[in-house]
Amino acid sequence: MKQIWAIAGKEFSDRLRSGWVIACALLWLGAISLTSLFGLVQVGRIGLQGYDRTVVSLLNLVQYLVPLLGLLLGHDLLVSEREERTLAMIFASGVTRARTLIGKFVGGCFTLGFPLALGFLIAGTVIGLSAKDKAIGSFLMLAISGLVLGVIYLGVGLLISTLCRTRVQALVCALLTWCVAVFAFDLIAMGVVVTVNSTHAEHEIEQATEATHTTPIADMHKAFENGDENAAHAAIERSQKVAAWLALNPVDLFRAANLPKSANTDVPAWLETFSIFAWLLGVLGFAFWKLRRIDL
Amino acid sequence: MNTFLEFKSVTKLFGRMAALNRVGFSVERGEILALLGPNGAGKSTLFGCLLGLLRPSDGKVLLRENPIEASDQLRFGYLPERIALYPQRSVWDNGAFFARLKNCAPAELERQLKRVGLYGVAERPVRQLSKGMLQRLGLAIALCGQPELLVLDEPFNGLDPALLDSLQKILREENERGATLLISTHTISAVEPLATQVAILLQGELAVVNTLNDLRAAHGENSLEAIYHRIARQSRAAAREEIEA
Repeated sequence: MKQIWAIAGKEFSDRLRSGWVIACALLWLGAISLTSLFGLVQVGRIGLQGYDRTVVSLLNLVQYLVPLLGLLLGHDLLVSEREERTLAMIFASGVTRARTLIGKFVGGCFTLGFPLALGFLIAGTVIGLSAKDKAIGSFLMLAISGLVLGVIYLGVGLLISTLCRTRVQALVCALLTWCVAVFAFDLIAMGVVVTVNSTHAEHEIEQATEATHTTPIADMHKAFENGDENAAHAAIERSQKVAAWLALNPVDLFRAANLPKSANTDVPAWLETFSIFAWLLGVLGFAFWKLRRIDL
Repeated sequence: MNTFLEFKSVTKLFGRMAALNRVGFSVERGEILALLGPNGAGKSTLFGCLLGLLRPSDGKVLLRENPIEASDQLRFGYLPERIALYPQRSVWDNGAFFARLKNCAPAELERQLKRVGLYGVAERPVRQLSKGMLQRLGLAIALCGQPELLVLDEPFNGLDPALLDSLQKILREENERGATLLISTHTISAVEPLATQVAILLQGELAVVNTLNDLRAAHGENSLEAIYHRIARQSRAAAREEIEA
């Protein structure tokens, strides 16, 4: 355990000294403040909203920015040490490859989690005090699921870091992964469904994944304004097929977990839990398998 | 007596090229083995297999007749040919990080930094160190925790005579303490006063392994450098004959 904490502690303090943690915290705080303040521009208003409506405004920000931060942090964790040859020094010091991987992952979790948690904490406190809203459940859900989303993509970044030989290669792979996860996956999912002629399922996936795009967000805010949030999305019958599609991509799972009930994008809790653990164990297991086979 | 360290028919292939070809020899506890050979002979590859940095394609490396575990490596000290540390961090930070990985107390690091004469610059960033200072820091890290096996890859490169002298003194002290030393080098004159055993690798194959005294007697030469050149010449001639045949 001492070795794991030594590696994790060094990773966090390196990022703190390099300014990564501070920059990330400032970027995150700035983005979260702007989105909270200007989230109602689409319905012609400016100002802080209650928790429920802030969550709707912040969904886009979290789903785009958090996976990117996770990947940008994770892609560099091992490949940079490999390029600089310090990884060989670590292994030669009697640290197993599994401990090195876990130490890097834990250090990355702290590095990513600290600014994100700080941002959520400050924003949550300010919203609670200014909007006098006590129903913090949805905001807590957003914060926790946002952190989990970040940790999953940190793991994906770490896997990329073990698979690539250079930092440049790893960066390109990380950015491509982000594009696929955030933009391309939904299109691919619908493409596959259309190919197998399941137009009903295609409609359902479109409904679920479109919910965070600009127009539907504005619709949701309008529905809140009219006091009829159920009008935002017509209820449609969901099928397990769609839930499975959503569980395949952590970004979709995050959307499904945080959209208002009216969006009708519920994924069963067991499937959410299974998907989160499968992703984490899958990427870390694959990274360990690859790391064991690396010659230095 | 149990063998301390044994390379058992170690082969390492990079693609089709054999960097090591069935290299086998053993080292007793307390020996100082000089590993000699030209560039590309496989010296660093052999050390890589010993330290778990490279996976042998065939064969194995045994410590006290058992495969080497990570816990065994806590008692190893390694000085690589090109020392890789964290340049933005201070001498102390670098040393403390690796000392912590090896479960060494900060007092032990302090002792080793004083021993190599770097304690006075402990707060200086590593990027500001000269090559000789970097070499000494690498040595201090390798010496942390009183290792039972010291693996030194080209430790004499780029050292001035005074530093060379002090390094030889430290290595002798370590050996007197009971440590076994494996030293790969091109600076044969620097390792000759220390070595008790000599192994020569040529093109990935073990050309000879013997005690220094036996080699001197067998070749009728007193200088290790002359013995090395003679063996290398004989090996090249044998290889030529084999090709012609």
